[in-house]
Amino acid sequence: MILWLTWRNLWRNPRRTVITAASVVFAVVLAVFMQSLQQGTFDRLVRNVVGFHSGYAQVHARGYWDEPVIDNAFPANDSLSAAIRAVAGVRGLVPRIECYALALAGALTRGCRVTGILPAAEDAMTRLASRVVRCSYLRDGSPSVLLAAGPAMRLGIDVGDTLVLLGQGYHGGIAAGRYPVAGIAAFRAPQLDAAMVYLTLEGARTFLGADGLLTSLAVDIGDPARLGSIMAALAPVVDDRYELMTWQEMMPEIDQHIRSDAIGFYIWTGVLYLIIAFGIFSTLLMMTAERRQEFGMLVAIGMRRGRVAAMLVAESLLISLTGVLAGMALSVPLVLYVERHPIRFGGEGARAFEQWGFEPLMPTSADPAIFLRQSAIVLAIAVVTGSYPAWKAMRIDPVTDMRR
Amino acid sequence: MRVKAWTQGRDVTLILVTAPAKDKGIVFLRRGREVWNWIPAIERNIKLPPSMMGQSWIGTDFTNDDLVKEASIVDDYEHRLEGEDSVGGRRCHRIRLTPKPEASVVWGRLVMWVDQRDLLMLRTEYYDEAGGLANTLLASDVRMLGGRLLPGRVEMVPADKKGHRTVMTYQDLVFDPPLPPWFFTTQQMSRVQ
Repeated sequence: MILWLTWRNLWRNPRRTVITAASVVFAVVLAVFMQSLQQGTFDRLVRNVVGFHSGYAQVHARGYWDEPVIDNAFPANDSLSAAIRAVAGVRGLVPRIECYALALAGALTRGCRVTGILPAAEDAMTRLASRVVRCSYLRDGSPSVLLAAGPAMRLGIDVGDTLVLLGQGYHGGIAAGRYPVAGIAAFRAPQLDAAMVYLTLEGARTFLGADGLLTSLAVDIGDPARLGSIMAALAPVVDDRYELMTWQEMMPEIDQHIRSDAIGFYIWTGVLYLIIAFGIFSTLLMMTAERRQEFGMLVAIGMRRGRVAAMLVAESLLISLTGVLAGMALSVPLVLYVERHPIRFGGEGARAFEQWGFEPLMPTSADPAIFLRQSAIVLAIAVVTGSYPAWKAMRIDPVTDMRR
Repeated sequence: MRVKAWTQGRDVTLILVTAPAKDKGIVFLRRGREVWNWIPAIERNIKLPPSMMGQSWIGTDFTNDDLVKEASIVDDYEHRLEGEDSVGGRRCHRIRLTPKPEASVVWGRLVMWVDQRDLLMLRTEYYDEAGGLANTLLASDVRMLGGRLLPGRVEMVPADKKGHRTVMTYQDLVFDPPLPPWFFTTQQMSRVQ
């Protein structure tokens, strides 16, 4: 009987019902969209910088990260590599030798980050080959370099030109070499675009006079969410001579930025929830005021107060549920659209983003958890505010309430 | 590593690296206080900027500055005879060198042991401005080289890097060979054999 009454009540004043439901719909869409935009942007940043470059974890010689110089390289160690590969969740292992050097072309000079790679292994993890915008990717045994767009532009050189690299080699030797440019790559991360120069692993070792050495092993993992358990499994495999670091340890600035922004987001959503709560509450307040007489009447003709309250809870529950479901249904296409067509910034805003090492794009994340979490929060708010009329119903006094 | 070096007077030196193969053909030219570096792999001649003078000279315990500095041992320091010691079985004067205030010297002081009979520098201790020992230069294996009595082995031992040292041994020394006046020029660097 209560359900039947509830249903009738909802349709007695459809406008009121729709307004209340609409405020819930709006709240759900807004909350879902904001959260998915934030998560999408950071996911993309992490994927671009971590997934497509550093890897989620790296192994170095102990002390390398504090002093990343070629003298802190370590000899390639097959048994270590095999042991790391054997850990469950590790998809691949990418050996690299990295150093800073001067890139020269004509009279122009730029500092750059020289990275020696195994072309096939590197591509399997970071899909480096897909970043090549002009001409070709490096091949094994090739004597050429793959150049990021930044240094190529600043040095005014293009595919086929000669790039001179000059730096300090292993144990202070002179590292110098001339290399034809095989291709130009464009990254989605400004800090990579500005500095990267790729050689083959052997080419870089010859350049540095560092035979058989590596500076880092990047660990490729299939599922970033499992990083913690994989790190725990890796720790006993990697002995004292090496250090094992997650990307959060290697790039604390990105991690901190994400964390601080997440806190900002919590405050922001807190305000949002408050607004939502008051929006719903005010419609309910109006409703209770309008129907005071009716409640008084119901109690006067013998309905128990508890049943009136139950009826009101059922009403607000039904409205909120409808609103939340409609909100989810509406936000799905919105989020999916922005995921495909990210919001792109231009002008000054774009430059500010790039200084932070972001590309000026804001995509959304279509992680189902976001929809569920935000909807659940809004629903909870709706239910809590919806209990106000019920609380009011518990203290109905027919004599005063029926008075006009 | 094997090098061939030519020196004229106190101001000019040309050094050619002849081994190992990787560094073969690298040339350093010093004229006065300036050092140029020819790198054949990239066919470029680079003038070492002042910022690089304190860096290691091709991975040794000598700095680029050490190449230049020799010229000023007499002019840039106040000298004081401090006593006598025996170094490697030879009687030596112990001389303390304090940089003159206007001299551009990185050291706080030098203590030098010079053989009394043959006037050979056999040991030098380099102290930094805080008074701590930075480097020790040891000379030994005194023998006839190119008709003169000289130490055939010079050793640089840095105090702060345990287990590091750089040993230079002279294989052959020729005095007063005929050299054309254009020998110590940057143009010559790419051609010297």
